Amino acid sequence: MLHTVATPGSLAETHTALSTLGSARIIAGGTAVTPTLNAGTDDFTSLVSLRRAGLSGIAIKDGSAAIGAVTTLAEIGDEPALGFLVPALETIGSPTIRNMATIGGNLFVRQPYGDLAACLIALGATATVSDGTTTRIEPVEKLVASPLKSNEIVTQVSFALPAEGSFKFTKAGRKAMNTAAIVTVASVVITSDGVVSQCRIGLGGVARSAVRARSVEQALTGRPLDRASVEEAAKQAAHDIDPADDSYASAWYRGRVTPVHIRRALIGE
Amino acid sequence: MKHSVISLTINGAERQVLVAPGTTLIDVLRDNQGLSGTRRGCDQGACGACTVLVDGKTMMSCLLPVETIDGATVGTIEGLTPMEGLHPIQEAFLEGFATQCGFCTPGMIMATAGLLDKNPNPTRDDAVRAISGNICRCTGYESIIDAVLDAAARMRAAKRAKAA
Repeated sequence: MLHTVATPGSLAETHTALSTLGSARIIAGGTAVTPTLNAGTDDFTSLVSLRRAGLSGIAIKDGSAAIGAVTTLAEIGDEPALGFLVPALETIGSPTIRNMATIGGNLFVRQPYGDLAACLIALGATATVSDGTTTRIEPVEKLVASPLKSNEIVTQVSFALPAEGSFKFTKAGRKAMNTAAIVTVASVVITSDGVVSQCRIGLGGVARSAVRARSVEQALTGRPLDRASVEEAAKQAAHDIDPADDSYASAWYRGRVTPVHIRRALIGE
Repeated sequence: MKHSVISLTINGAERQVLVAPGTTLIDVLRDNQGLSGTRRGCDQGACGACTVLVDGKTMMSCLLPVETIDGATVGTIEGLTPMEGLHPIQEAFLEGFATQCGFCTPGMIMATAGLLDKNPNPTRDDAVRAISGNICRCTGYESIIDAVLDAAARMRAAKRAKAA
Protein backbone atom coordinates (compact mmCIF):
# COMPACT_ATOMS: atom_id res chain seq x y z
CA MET A 1 0.00 0.00 0.00
CA LEU A 2 1.43 3.33 -0.99
CA HIS A 3 2.13 5.61 1.98
CA THR A 4 3.98 8.56 0.50
CA VAL A 5 4.60 10.30 -2.79
CA ALA A 6 7.61 12.60 -2.53
CA THR A 7 8.25 15.32 -5.11
CA PRO A 8 11.81 16.54 -4.38
CA GLY A 9 12.85 19.82 -5.96
CA SER A 10 16.53 19.00 -6.44
CA LEU A 11 18.98 16.11 -6.76
CA ALA A 12 20.04 16.56 -3.12
CA GLU A 13 16.41 16.43 -1.96
CA THR A 14 15.92 13.31 -4.09
CA HIS A 15 18.78 11.51 -2.34
CA THR A 16 17.42 12.60 1.06
CA ALA A 17 13.99 11.22 0.14
CA LEU A 18 15.49 7.93 -1.06
CA SER A 19 17.50 7.45 2.12
CA THR A 20 14.72 8.42 4.55
CA LEU A 21 11.72 6.75 2.95
CA GLY A 22 11.41 3.04 3.31
CA SER A 23 10.88 0.80 0.30
CA ALA A 24 11.00 3.71 -2.17
CA ARG A 25 10.61 3.44 -5.93
CA ILE A 26 11.75 6.17 -8.31
CA ILE A 27 9.13 7.39 -10.79
CA ALA A 28 9.96 9.59 -13.77
CA GLY A 29 7.37 9.51 -16.57
CA GLY A 30 5.32 6.84 -14.85
CA THR A 31 4.84 4.69 -17.95
CA ALA A 32 6.52 1.67 -16.33
CA VAL A 33 5.88 2.24 -12.62
CA THR A 34 2.25 3.44 -12.47
CA PRO A 35 0.85 0.33 -14.20
CA THR A 36 2.17 -1.78 -11.31
CA LEU A 37 0.53 0.60 -8.84
CA ASN A 38 -2.77 0.36 -10.72
CA ALA A 39 -2.61 -3.41 -10.97
CA GLY A 40 -1.72 -3.82 -7.30
CA THR A 41 1.49 -5.66 -8.20
CA ASP A 42 3.69 -2.89 -6.79
CA ASP A 43 6.29 -3.82 -4.23
CA PHE A 44 7.03 -0.38 -2.79
CA THR A 45 5.41 1.87 -0.17
CA SER A 46 6.86 5.20 -1.29
CA LEU A 47 7.25 6.88 -4.64
CA VAL A 48 9.96 9.44 -5.27
CA SER A 49 8.97 11.50 -8.31
CA LEU A 50 11.83 13.02 -10.32
CA ARG A 51 9.50 15.36 -12.23
CA ARG A 52 10.57 18.50 -10.36
CA ALA A 53 14.15 17.48 -9.45
CA GLY A 54 15.76 19.59 -12.17
CA LEU A 55 17.01 16.63 -14.20
CA SER A 56 15.51 17.58 -17.57
CA GLY A 57 17.10 19.43 -20.41
CA ILE A 58 19.29 18.96 -23.46
CA ALA A 59 22.65 20.67 -23.96
CA ILE A 60 24.35 20.41 -27.35
CA LYS A 61 27.96 21.55 -27.22
CA ASP A 62 31.13 20.81 -29.16
CA GLY A 63 29.52 17.99 -31.10
CA SER A 64 28.14 16.26 -28.02
CA ALA A 65 24.72 15.93 -26.46
CA ALA A 66 24.17 15.91 -22.70
CA ILE A 67 20.59 14.90 -21.90
CA GLY A 68 19.05 15.11 -18.44
CA ALA A 69 17.72 11.73 -17.33
CA VAL A 70 14.15 13.03 -16.92
CA THR A 71 14.02 14.52 -20.43
CA THR A 72 11.05 13.00 -22.26
CA LEU A 73 11.37 11.12 -25.53
CA ALA A 74 9.17 13.79 -27.15
CA GLU A 75 11.53 16.54 -26.01
CA ILE A 76 14.48 14.60 -27.43
CA GLY A 77 12.66 14.25 -30.75
CA ASP A 78 11.98 17.98 -30.86
CA GLU A 79 15.68 18.87 -30.52
CA PRO A 80 16.99 19.68 -34.03
CA ALA A 81 20.51 18.33 -33.37
CA LEU A 82 19.01 14.96 -32.37
CA GLY A 83 16.82 14.62 -35.48
CA PHE A 84 18.73 11.44 -36.43
CA LEU A 85 17.05 9.71 -33.45
CA VAL A 86 13.47 10.53 -34.56
CA PRO A 87 12.90 7.34 -36.63
CA ALA A 88 14.03 5.29 -33.62
CA LEU A 89 12.01 7.32 -31.11
CA GLU A 90 8.86 6.95 -33.20
CA THR A 91 9.02 3.17 -32.77
CA ILE A 92 8.73 3.59 -29.01
CA GLY A 93 5.17 3.73 -27.68
CA SER A 94 2.93 6.46 -29.08
CA PRO A 95 3.18 10.27 -29.10
CA THR A 96 1.17 10.26 -25.86
CA ILE A 97 3.57 7.80 -24.22
CA ARG A 98 6.55 9.76 -25.57
CA ASN A 99 5.23 12.91 -23.90
CA MET A 100 5.68 11.09 -20.60
CA ALA A 101 8.44 8.45 -20.98
CA THR A 102 11.98 9.56 -20.17
CA ILE A 103 15.44 8.64 -21.44
CA GLY A 104 16.48 7.60 -17.92
CA GLY A 105 13.40 5.46 -17.42
CA ASN A 106 13.93 3.73 -20.76
CA LEU A 107 17.31 2.47 -19.49
CA PHE A 108 15.61 0.44 -16.78
CA VAL A 109 12.42 -0.94 -18.33
CA ARG A 110 12.55 -4.68 -18.76
CA GLN A 111 13.17 -6.23 -22.15
CA PRO A 112 11.69 -6.44 -24.74
CA TYR A 113 11.04 -2.74 -24.10
CA GLY A 114 13.89 -0.24 -23.81
CA ASP A 115 14.82 0.40 -27.43
CA LEU A 116 16.51 3.70 -26.66
CA ALA A 117 19.10 1.80 -24.63
CA ALA A 118 20.09 -0.12 -27.80
CA CYS A 119 20.52 3.25 -29.58
CA LEU A 120 22.61 4.63 -26.73
CA ILE A 121 24.87 1.57 -26.78
CA ALA A 122 25.44 2.08 -30.51
CA LEU A 123 26.22 5.74 -29.84
CA GLY A 124 28.79 4.82 -27.19
CA ALA A 125 26.79 6.81 -24.65
CA THR A 126 27.73 7.21 -21.01
CA ALA A 127 25.49 7.78 -18.01
CA THR A 128 26.24 9.90 -14.97
CA VAL A 129 25.27 8.08 -11.77
CA SER A 130 24.88 9.95 -8.48
CA ASP A 131 24.72 8.38 -5.02
CA GLY A 132 24.33 11.61 -3.07
CA THR A 133 28.00 12.13 -2.29
CA THR A 134 29.84 11.14 -5.45
CA THR A 135 29.11 10.79 -9.12
CA ARG A 136 30.59 8.29 -11.54
CA ILE A 137 30.44 7.94 -15.31
CA GLU A 138 29.42 4.54 -16.61
CA PRO A 139 29.09 3.34 -20.21
CA VAL A 140 25.41 2.64 -20.89
CA GLU A 141 26.22 -0.89 -22.06
CA LYS A 142 27.61 -1.64 -18.59
CA LEU A 143 24.87 0.22 -16.75
CA VAL A 144 21.97 -1.69 -18.24
CA ALA A 145 23.59 -5.04 -17.50
CA SER A 146 23.84 -4.58 -13.74
CA PRO A 147 21.36 -3.09 -11.27
CA LEU A 148 22.02 0.18 -9.48
CA LYS A 149 22.26 0.33 -5.69
CA SER A 150 19.13 1.58 -3.96
CA ASN A 151 20.53 5.08 -3.34
CA GLU A 152 21.86 5.59 -6.89
CA ILE A 153 20.21 7.61 -9.64
CA VAL A 154 21.12 8.23 -13.25
CA THR A 155 21.12 12.01 -13.69
CA GLN A 156 22.32 12.44 -17.27
CA VAL A 157 23.13 10.58 -20.47
CA SER A 158 25.78 11.87 -22.87
CA PHE A 159 27.12 10.92 -26.25
CA ALA A 160 29.06 12.37 -29.15
CA LEU A 161 26.81 13.20 -32.09
CA PRO A 162 27.43 10.63 -34.82
CA ALA A 163 28.68 11.59 -38.27
CA GLU A 164 25.81 12.38 -40.60
CA GLY A 165 24.23 9.23 -42.00
CA SER A 166 26.27 6.89 -39.80
CA PHE A 167 23.46 6.05 -37.35
CA LYS A 168 21.09 3.33 -38.50
CA PHE A 169 18.13 1.79 -36.75
CA THR A 170 15.65 -0.94 -37.42
CA LYS A 171 13.05 -2.54 -35.19
CA ALA A 172 10.93 -5.61 -35.79
CA GLY A 173 7.74 -5.77 -33.73
CA ARG A 174 4.28 -7.27 -33.76
CA LYS A 175 2.58 -4.12 -35.07
CA ALA A 176 3.70 -1.25 -37.26
CA MET A 177 3.62 1.12 -34.27
CA ASN A 178 3.42 0.98 -30.49
CA THR A 179 4.93 -2.45 -30.00
CA ALA A 180 7.75 -3.90 -27.97
CA ALA A 181 10.67 -5.41 -29.86
CA ILE A 182 11.09 -8.76 -31.44
CA VAL A 183 14.54 -7.48 -32.45
CA THR A 184 15.91 -3.94 -32.32
CA VAL A 185 19.17 -3.08 -34.08
CA ALA A 186 20.93 0.25 -33.69
CA SER A 187 24.33 0.90 -35.25
CA VAL A 188 26.93 3.56 -35.86
CA VAL A 189 29.29 2.49 -38.65
CA ILE A 190 32.18 4.53 -40.01
CA THR A 191 33.74 3.49 -43.31
CA SER A 192 36.87 4.55 -45.11
CA ASP A 193 36.87 3.81 -48.85
CA GLY A 194 34.02 1.40 -48.29
CA VAL A 195 35.85 -0.53 -45.57
CA VAL A 196 34.49 -0.54 -42.01
CA SER A 197 36.92 1.29 -39.76
CA GLN A 198 34.68 1.57 -36.72
CA CYS A 199 31.39 0.09 -35.73
CA ARG A 200 29.19 -0.13 -32.69
CA ILE A 201 26.03 -2.22 -32.75
CA GLY A 202 23.37 -2.26 -30.03
CA LEU A 203 20.71 -4.96 -29.92
CA GLY A 204 17.38 -4.93 -28.10
CA GLY A 205 14.80 -7.59 -27.44
CA VAL A 206 17.30 -10.44 -27.57
CA ALA A 207 18.78 -10.65 -24.08
CA ARG A 208 18.04 -9.76 -20.46
CA SER A 209 19.10 -6.22 -21.25
CA ALA A 210 20.08 -4.28 -24.35
CA VAL A 211 23.47 -5.63 -25.46
CA ARG A 212 26.42 -4.70 -27.60
CA ALA A 213 27.03 -7.04 -30.51
CA ARG A 214 30.81 -7.20 -30.00
CA SER A 215 31.25 -10.44 -31.95
CA VAL A 216 29.55 -8.92 -34.97
CA GLU A 217 31.59 -5.73 -34.63
CA GLN A 218 34.86 -7.67 -34.47
CA ALA A 219 33.92 -9.74 -37.50
CA LEU A 220 32.95 -6.67 -39.50
CA THR A 221 35.76 -4.25 -38.66
CA GLY A 222 38.26 -4.10 -41.51
CA ARG A 223 35.83 -5.72 -43.97
CA PRO A 224 33.96 -3.97 -46.79
CA LEU A 225 30.45 -2.81 -45.94
CA ASP A 226 28.81 -5.07 -48.52
CA ARG A 227 26.11 -7.71 -48.30
CA ALA A 228 28.43 -10.71 -48.22
CA SER A 229 30.64 -9.35 -45.45
CA VAL A 230 27.72 -8.07 -43.37
CA GLU A 231 25.85 -11.38 -43.62
CA GLU A 232 28.98 -13.28 -42.62
CA ALA A 233 29.61 -10.98 -39.65
CA ALA A 234 25.96 -10.98 -38.59
CA LYS A 235 26.09 -14.75 -38.06
CA GLN A 236 28.37 -14.03 -35.08
CA ALA A 237 25.42 -12.41 -33.31
CA ALA A 238 24.62 -15.82 -31.84
CA HIS A 239 27.56 -15.26 -29.46
CA ASP A 240 26.18 -11.91 -28.26
CA ILE A 241 22.52 -12.69 -27.64
CA ASP A 242 20.55 -14.76 -25.16
CA PRO A 243 16.93 -14.43 -26.33
CA ALA A 244 13.89 -15.48 -24.35
CA ASP A 245 10.37 -16.64 -25.17
CA ASP A 246 7.65 -14.10 -24.54
CA SER A 247 4.30 -13.10 -25.96
CA TYR A 248 5.97 -11.21 -28.82
CA ALA A 249 8.20 -13.98 -30.21
CA SER A 250 10.00 -17.15 -29.25
CA ALA A 251 13.68 -17.31 -28.38
CA TRP A 252 14.23 -19.51 -31.43
CA TYR A 253 12.60 -16.97 -33.76
CA ARG A 254 14.57 -14.08 -32.30
CA GLY A 255 17.83 -15.97 -32.74
CA ARG A 256 16.88 -16.82 -36.28
CA VAL A 257 16.01 -13.28 -37.44
CA THR A 258 18.61 -11.24 -35.52
CA PRO A 259 21.27 -11.63 -38.29
CA VAL A 260 18.68 -10.64 -40.91
CA HIS A 261 17.75 -7.44 -39.08
CA ILE A 262 21.41 -6.62 -38.47
CA ARG A 263 21.95 -6.82 -42.22
CA ARG A 264 18.87 -4.70 -42.94
CA ALA A 265 19.94 -2.06 -40.43
CA LEU A 266 23.50 -1.84 -41.71
CA ILE A 267 22.95 -1.90 -45.46
CA GLY A 268 19.23 -1.23 -45.80
CA GLU A 269 18.40 -4.44 -47.63
CA MET B 1 -3.01 7.17 5.11
CA LYS B 2 -2.18 10.87 5.09
CA HIS B 3 -4.00 12.61 2.28
CA SER B 4 -2.56 15.54 0.30
CA VAL B 5 -4.19 18.63 -1.14
CA ILE B 6 -3.45 18.95 -4.85
CA SER B 7 -4.27 21.96 -7.05
CA LEU B 8 -5.14 21.45 -10.68
CA THR B 9 -6.63 23.77 -13.27
CA ILE B 10 -9.19 21.53 -14.99
CA ASN B 11 -10.81 22.86 -18.15
CA GLY B 12 -9.96 26.38 -17.07
CA ALA B 13 -11.29 26.10 -13.51
CA GLU B 14 -8.97 25.96 -10.51
CA ARG B 15 -9.70 22.98 -8.33
CA GLN B 16 -8.28 21.73 -5.05
CA VAL B 17 -8.64 18.04 -4.30
CA LEU B 18 -7.84 15.92 -1.27
CA VAL B 19 -6.22 12.68 -2.43
CA ALA B 20 -4.86 9.48 -0.93
CA PRO B 21 -1.25 8.66 -1.93
CA GLY B 22 -1.01 7.28 -5.45
CA THR B 23 -4.37 8.61 -6.66
CA THR B 24 -4.06 9.00 -10.42
CA LEU B 25 -5.37 11.82 -12.58
CA ILE B 26 -8.10 9.62 -14.05
CA ASP B 27 -9.30 8.84 -10.51
CA VAL B 28 -9.55 12.57 -9.79
CA LEU B 29 -11.27 13.40 -13.08
CA ARG B 30 -13.90 10.66 -12.97
CA ASP B 31 -14.49 9.92 -9.29
CA ASN B 32 -13.71 13.26 -7.71
CA GLN B 33 -14.74 15.76 -10.38
CA GLY B 34 -17.53 13.76 -12.04
CA LEU B 35 -15.93 14.25 -15.46
CA SER B 36 -16.73 10.83 -16.83
CA GLY B 37 -15.91 11.63 -20.46
CA THR B 38 -12.37 10.34 -19.89
CA ARG B 39 -12.52 6.52 -20.04
CA ARG B 40 -10.71 3.89 -18.01
CA GLY B 41 -9.81 1.15 -20.50
CA CYS B 42 -6.75 -0.67 -19.18
CA ASP B 43 -5.06 1.26 -16.34
CA GLN B 44 -1.77 0.30 -18.05
CA GLY B 45 -1.25 3.08 -20.60
CA ALA B 46 -1.81 0.64 -23.46
CA CYS B 47 -5.26 1.61 -24.79
CA GLY B 48 -5.31 5.42 -24.80
CA ALA B 49 -8.96 5.72 -23.72
CA CYS B 50 -7.79 7.90 -20.82
CA THR B 51 -5.94 10.43 -23.00
CA VAL B 52 -6.18 14.03 -21.76
CA LEU B 53 -4.08 17.19 -22.21
CA VAL B 54 -1.71 18.03 -19.36
CA ASP B 55 0.07 21.37 -19.72
CA GLY B 56 -0.93 21.25 -23.38
CA LYS B 57 0.50 17.76 -24.10
CA THR B 58 -1.39 14.52 -24.61
CA MET B 59 -0.82 12.16 -21.68
CA MET B 60 -2.39 9.02 -20.23
CA SER B 61 -4.35 10.15 -17.19
CA CYS B 62 -4.24 6.60 -15.77
CA LEU B 63 -0.45 6.82 -15.47
CA LEU B 64 -0.15 10.14 -13.62
CA PRO B 65 -0.17 10.09 -9.82
CA VAL B 66 -1.65 13.57 -9.19
CA GLU B 67 0.80 14.31 -6.41
CA THR B 68 3.50 14.40 -9.09
CA ILE B 69 1.63 17.00 -11.21
CA ASP B 70 0.52 19.44 -8.51
CA GLY B 71 -0.29 22.77 -10.18
CA ALA B 72 -0.76 21.37 -13.69
CA THR B 73 -3.31 22.50 -16.27
CA VAL B 74 -5.57 19.69 -17.46
CA GLY B 75 -7.87 19.61 -20.48
CA THR B 76 -10.50 16.90 -20.94
CA ILE B 77 -13.12 16.13 -23.59
CA GLU B 78 -15.61 18.14 -21.55
CA GLY B 79 -13.35 21.16 -21.84
CA LEU B 80 -13.04 20.74 -25.60
CA THR B 81 -16.81 20.81 -26.04
CA PRO B 82 -18.06 24.39 -26.56
CA MET B 83 -21.07 25.73 -24.65
CA GLU B 84 -23.16 25.39 -27.78
CA GLY B 85 -22.70 23.04 -30.68
CA LEU B 86 -19.62 20.90 -31.20
CA HIS B 87 -15.90 21.37 -31.66
CA PRO B 88 -14.79 20.82 -35.30
CA ILE B 89 -13.03 17.60 -34.25
CA GLN B 90 -16.27 16.31 -32.74
CA GLU B 91 -18.20 17.34 -35.87
CA ALA B 92 -15.72 15.54 -38.09
CA PHE B 93 -15.95 12.34 -36.02
CA LEU B 94 -19.75 12.45 -35.95
CA GLU B 95 -20.29 13.24 -39.61
CA GLY B 96 -17.58 10.79 -40.69
CA PHE B 97 -19.09 7.87 -38.71
CA ALA B 98 -15.77 7.65 -36.87
CA THR B 99 -17.48 6.45 -33.72
CA GLN B 100 -19.60 3.34 -33.03
CA CYS B 101 -19.72 2.35 -29.38
CA GLY B 102 -17.98 5.60 -28.51
CA PHE B 103 -15.73 4.22 -25.79
CA CYS B 104 -12.43 5.09 -27.49
CA THR B 105 -13.80 8.35 -28.89
CA PRO B 106 -12.91 10.88 -26.19
CA GLY B 107 -9.33 9.55 -26.15
CA MET B 108 -9.16 9.64 -29.95
CA ILE B 109 -10.48 13.22 -29.98
CA MET B 110 -8.01 14.39 -27.33
CA ALA B 111 -5.13 12.72 -29.22
CA THR B 112 -6.37 14.55 -32.33
CA ALA B 113 -6.55 17.84 -30.43
CA GLY B 114 -2.94 17.32 -29.32
CA LEU B 115 -1.87 16.66 -32.91
CA LEU B 116 -3.67 19.62 -34.48
CA ASP B 117 -2.35 21.96 -31.83
CA LYS B 118 1.21 21.16 -32.94
CA ASN B 119 0.56 20.43 -36.60
CA PRO B 120 -2.50 22.05 -38.24
CA ASN B 121 -1.74 20.41 -41.59
CA PRO B 122 -1.00 16.76 -40.89
CA THR B 123 -0.38 14.09 -43.51
CA ARG B 124 -2.19 10.77 -43.33
CA ASP B 125 0.97 9.29 -41.78
CA ASP B 126 0.95 12.03 -39.13
CA ALA B 127 -2.68 11.21 -38.32
CA VAL B 128 -1.95 7.49 -38.00
CA ARG B 129 1.02 8.22 -35.75
CA ALA B 130 -1.03 10.57 -33.58
CA ILE B 131 -3.61 7.89 -32.77
CA SER B 132 -1.10 5.03 -32.54
CA GLY B 133 -1.62 4.98 -28.78
CA ASN B 134 -5.40 4.66 -29.02
CA ILE B 135 -7.12 1.31 -29.53
CA CYS B 136 -10.52 1.02 -31.22
CA ARG B 137 -12.37 -2.29 -31.37
CA CYS B 138 -15.27 -1.13 -33.52
CA THR B 139 -14.36 1.00 -36.51
CA GLY B 140 -11.22 -0.48 -38.04
CA TYR B 141 -9.57 2.96 -37.72
CA GLU B 142 -10.00 4.15 -41.34
CA SER B 143 -13.00 6.37 -40.57
CA ILE B 144 -11.13 7.77 -37.57
CA ILE B 145 -8.06 8.63 -39.65
CA ASP B 146 -10.31 10.28 -42.25
CA ALA B 147 -12.01 12.24 -39.46
CA VAL B 148 -8.67 13.47 -38.11
CA LEU B 149 -7.77 14.86 -41.54
CA ASP B 150 -11.28 16.25 -42.02
CA ALA B 151 -11.08 17.95 -38.61
CA ALA B 152 -7.76 19.50 -39.60
CA ALA B 153 -9.31 20.84 -42.80
CA ARG B 154 -12.30 22.24 -40.91
CA MET B 155 -10.06 24.00 -38.44
CA ARG B 156 -7.83 25.46 -41.13
CA ALA B 157 -10.90 26.72 -42.99
CA ALA B 158 -12.32 28.27 -39.83
CA LYS B 159 -9.01 29.99 -39.21
CA ARG B 160 -8.95 31.40 -42.75
CA ALA B 161 -12.57 32.55 -42.40
CA LYS B 162 -11.74 34.26 -39.12
CA ALA B 163 -8.70 35.95 -40.60
CA ALA B 164 -10.66 37.17 -43.61
